[in-house]
Amino acid sequence: MKTIPVEAYFAVSMILFGLGILGLIARRNLITVLMSLELALNAVNVAFVGADAHMGLVEGQIFALFIIALAAVEAAVGLGIIIAIFRYRYVESTDEITDMRG
Amino acid sequence: MVRFLIFLLFSAWAIISAIGVVTFTNPIYVILWLLSSLIAVAGIFFVAGAELVGALQLLIYAVAIAVFYVFVLTAVPWEKAVKKESHYRTEGVISLPLILLLYLEMAVVFLLGVVASPEGKFREAIARIGNAEVVGSVLFTKYFFAFEVVSLVLLIGMIGAVLIGRKESQTYEDDTG
Repeated sequence: MKTIPVEAYFAVSMILFGLGILGLIARRNLITVLMSLELALNAVNVAFVGADAHMGLVEGQIFALFIIALAAVEAAVGLGIIIAIFRYRYVESTDEITDMRG
Repeated sequence: MVRFLIFLLFSAWAIISAIGVVTFTNPIYVILWLLSSLIAVAGIFFVAGAELVGALQLLIYAVAIAVFYVFVLTAVPWEKAVKKESHYRTEGVISLPLILLLYLEMAVVFLLGVVASPEGKFREAIARIGNAEVVGSVLFTKYFFAFEVVSLVLLIGMIGAVLIGRKESQTYEDDTG
């Protein structure tokens, strides 16, 4: 378990998190924005588990389990909001939801 | 060494799939790339020795959440999204230096900083009785309150999703009178 350096886990986590943030900014469809958010959450899980394997603890894996549960909740509520937005407004792109523009 | 090669293989797979998630236009292809990336990250977890988190990643992420996204994609007509442009191209190009700055900051914090010394409090226990048993015993003793709070958050999220996603067209209080 010591053969993989912890910096490798952090590098993979950084790259995945940056790609998730880039998708979160540059995506236009609401569902793909949520998918990019799932990618960023998953990158944080990689960092937790990598640090755990380096330090010989188990708390990072427990936090990763909590993050997986909260990601499931976020997917359920977010997709419910997307379905409600589509039902009332018939839009699914983020630049068409302009009801709160001042 | 073999373990590190397998780690590099799964990492390359995950990063290529993540690039596919960010760049592809069709939402069906995007969910397939996301599924591929989740499976690759589960492989990284297995390589790191966290078999419980890897199995739950496969079960919850790669099965439940991915199927849920596919259901919502069938509920929302995505043909309009295919016809429209799928990215904010100028905003993406403008935000790219900020993303690189974020990368630089994370590199400074993570790679140039001092990694905490390995304490190894559970290492011999992991070697003796296995990783999943140690995770379960610590989760159900030290973090039991947090576990219960997470179950409450799941319940509240389920109630919220049902309340937000229901149809409002029928009202049931008019028939009294």
